[in-house]
Amino acid sequence: MLETSSPALPKLERSQTAESRNLRQGAVIAVLLAVAIGVPQFATNQFYLHLANMILLNAIFAMSLGLIMSVGQISLGHAAFVAAGAYISALAALDFKLPPLLGILLAGLVTGFSAALLGKVLLRLRGVYFVLVTFLAGQVFTLIALNWESVTHGANGIVGIPAISLFGFPLGTRLRFYYFALGLFVLVFAFVWALMRSQYGRAFRSIAENLRLAEASGIDVSRYQVIAFSLGSSIAGATGAVMVHYVRFLSPDSFTFTDSIAYITILVVGGRHALIGCLLGSLFMTPLPEALRGLVGTQHILYGVILLGMLLFLPEGLVSIGRLFSRGSSRGTR
Amino acid sequence: MRKLSKIAIVSCALSLSLPAVSAETLKLGVLATLSGSGTAWGIAMQGAAELAAEDVNSRGGLEVAGKKYTVEITAYDDRYKAADALTAVNRLIFDDQIKFIVGPLGSAPALAVLPVSTENKVITMTLAFTPKALSPDFPYSFRPVIPTDVFSDPQVKWVVDKLGAKRIGTLYPNDESGQQVSIANEAAYNKVGATFVAKEPFERERVDFVPLLTRVLAQKIDAFELDGNAPQTAGLLVKQLRELGFKGPIIRTGGDATPDILQIAGKEAAENIYVHQAVDPASPVMKEYTRRFEAKYKVPMNAFSPFFYANIQALFSAMKQAGTVTDTDKVRETMLGMSNFATVLGKVNWTGEAQWKSNQQLDAPFYVAVLKDGAPQIVARCNPTECK
Amino acid sequence: MEYAILLAQAALNGLVIGAMYVLMAVGFTLTFGIMRVVNFAHGEFYMLGAFTAFFTYVYWDIPFVLCLLIAAVTIGVLGALVERALIQPFRGDETSAMIATLAISVIIQNSAIVIWGPTPRQMPDIVQGTLLLGPFSFPWSRLLVIAAAALIFAAFWLFMQATRIGRAMRAVAQDKEAALIQGIRINTIYPLAFGLSVALAALAGALMGPVFSVSPFVGLTPMLKAFVVVILGGLGSIPGAVVGGLLLGLIESFTATMFGSLVADILQLLLVILILLVRPAGLLGQREV
Repeated sequence: MLETSSPALPKLERSQTAESRNLRQGAVIAVLLAVAIGVPQFATNQFYLHLANMILLNAIFAMSLGLIMSVGQISLGHAAFVAAGAYISALAALDFKLPPLLGILLAGLVTGFSAALLGKVLLRLRGVYFVLVTFLAGQVFTLIALNWESVTHGANGIVGIPAISLFGFPLGTRLRFYYFALGLFVLVFAFVWALMRSQYGRAFRSIAENLRLAEASGIDVSRYQVIAFSLGSSIAGATGAVMVHYVRFLSPDSFTFTDSIAYITILVVGGRHALIGCLLGSLFMTPLPEALRGLVGTQHILYGVILLGMLLFLPEGLVSIGRLFSRGSSRGTR
Repeated sequence: MRKLSKIAIVSCALSLSLPAVSAETLKLGVLATLSGSGTAWGIAMQGAAELAAEDVNSRGGLEVAGKKYTVEITAYDDRYKAADALTAVNRLIFDDQIKFIVGPLGSAPALAVLPVSTENKVITMTLAFTPKALSPDFPYSFRPVIPTDVFSDPQVKWVVDKLGAKRIGTLYPNDESGQQVSIANEAAYNKVGATFVAKEPFERERVDFVPLLTRVLAQKIDAFELDGNAPQTAGLLVKQLRELGFKGPIIRTGGDATPDILQIAGKEAAENIYVHQAVDPASPVMKEYTRRFEAKYKVPMNAFSPFFYANIQALFSAMKQAGTVTDTDKVRETMLGMSNFATVLGKVNWTGEAQWKSNQQLDAPFYVAVLKDGAPQIVARCNPTECK
Repeated sequence: MEYAILLAQAALNGLVIGAMYVLMAVGFTLTFGIMRVVNFAHGEFYMLGAFTAFFTYVYWDIPFVLCLLIAAVTIGVLGALVERALIQPFRGDETSAMIATLAISVIIQNSAIVIWGPTPRQMPDIVQGTLLLGPFSFPWSRLLVIAAAALIFAAFWLFMQATRIGRAMRAVAQDKEAALIQGIRINTIYPLAFGLSVALAALAGALMGPVFSVSPFVGLTPMLKAFVVVILGGLGSIPGAVVGGLLLGLIESFTATMFGSLVADILQLLLVILILLVRPAGLLGQREV
């Protein structure tokens, strides 16, 4: 069953070598950050920078979905929350002249709050039923976005969405946005990392590992599931808002079922049970279609083959390759 | 390519003194839907670009400012999604360093792509019927195909006069293009005293139209308007309409879908359909173009293809005259300065100033045809004011 | 009178698509009941069935019944092989199995695009003409679908009730552990069940091929509908899939005829979500323990 099959993202280790591990981790993170900050130096053209931005955003989407999966529920409607956040911020900016930064905040709050309400009802369903209902909810959202024309502009989509401006400093260029997205990524990463080490993280994991056991041992399963669902959706909504101020075009097509599948793929390819897997997965999957954009069809076949191959031969994702080389050293990020 | 532009600048300077001919490449991008239900249009665009390249290359390349350029085509699929189109255009512009794009296709992708292409001074040739595709804000956006709001008035007037149809039924896809075409058509019908007594939007992935058609037929319509439906959908609609026993005339005031209608509905069901005919299939030049296209791509040619070919012909000619393959401002101005330019479509001009404040709409004659025995027969010749 | 015609047309059309939904949903729910796998590739097997019927009917020029048979057998065997090679490794891990079927779906659909191209093909009608009953007119091609679907379902039902393998499948669906103790071999039953399930999808595709058109994209809508139907009827319940399929077909047809397609689409999804929340196990399904 689903409840038992997808354990949490990071696992708390109570190892005695915690200190040396922390040191090593710190070093790895410092190197990664330095590389990330230097990326624009290597990005020889704007297109690569655009890809780098998409990689970061997709990694955040995957992390937010991972948070929901960490309580053992898979959502196939995740893109709907991304889209909801995008619509909220885009419309707030155009119709009420709300500064994008506030719009993003608003998007995060509204999607988080509505996810909490929805979650109270939907999370009563377990396993496959939850998967199917989130799938259908995603479809309903797309239909509403398409048909509620007076508000969403329908199929025409929304054009002329302003870029984010940070204290009067516009982030319209790909380079400036890159640093903003990087900052956001680090923020979300740190938040989820810390959350998973708190008592919440412990509760999430025990729910994912064995729902009935968790219930029996007095954990308020429904409460924790709603919290994870709401936090994950809120991050997705806010990031969707960030993305719409970067892409500056939004239509009901922008985020659909295909995108929900893409987030799951990123998680699987990177490694479902490791936070850093989201970044690895996105690093691999986001540029992949580009390698084959000229080859219609073949591109998607390869996409499927990679996904299937990962599941079959590397079920713990790309993360586990690193682990093969340095056993133990990366356990802390599990 | 970046190297090329440097060389080009240097050699432009050199060529003043040394008119030697050397080989270079000129890259043309194609950004269109090459998968899914809009594919017929995407292949029409890709085919136009590839045939144009073939023609130029077989003569040793395009000669501009004393240099021979071999034309190369880079084609990317946007899956008819705005987000994909945006990524693809970024790639064409920044990674492939392309300055001239055949595309985008469809209104939503066009609206997403045009700000980026304009900002980078990239010339685009779009297949999007939205009025927003041409505007002074997008000075590098050209449109070779004639949109519904130009051809619907004269065509609808002619067809309605001929058929005496008053009650029209229609189904249209609920997306930007579908809504756009339907609005233009409804206005055209209203002007000549006919009304849409039944019109139903539907979601793009729908394949069973029988319930909706039943609903439309219940309104006792005189004729059915196929609007801007994708070619395959138009074919399915004709088929299912005839199955439901509708014997009246069917009108297609939208992009060319004749090959798909014939293929899906069969030629008996397709009798008595009045279609917008973008080109005269009887002209020998067009016959030859169609033959080449179909031999190469093994699919029936969509009539949009020669329009793109014509625009590329104009583009190449403008490059020669302007003496540059990199300065899009110069190429644009030169191209706009051309009139009565001879192309595969016959003599073409630029128009559009009055409607969109942008004179970048290709102007060519168009026709109304009726399908008889599996082939379109031209019954009227049109210009933007009338059909005869 | 006109209203009556409208209603009759809507009812007939509802039965046609309902019959197709039943064939799709029965297979879909079978896989879930027996293997606990949500098969996202179910629609692609429908598409493969449609193509098989198209090629055999158009190029070999054999009776349509034979085309149906060939489609069911080849796609069924293919399905069994797919289960054995690609789904079996995930036994007991529903999540991975589900994602694997998503990947399989992507691979099959895009291979079809590469091999056969995206352009839809028109299949000639199997039967022509229209049945005229007073003011009512029913195309024979659609009546054929209803009759054929009923026959196919009857054969399937008989198979499940009367054969050893069918009974074994039902036993596994009811109680896997008990079935194992009785000596039922899971490794034979699973590929067979999966093969049977996708063979039904292929038959649905082959039947609908002449009514609609045949292209690599035709599997998507039927699969979405199969989802909706099994939720209506209850995951794993075969009677539920039959009732749910016919019900959905009729609801869809009537709402689309009366109120247009957008209302029909949204209403359908909301109805299903509502049912899920009130009766999570579906109309006829049994609550999972």
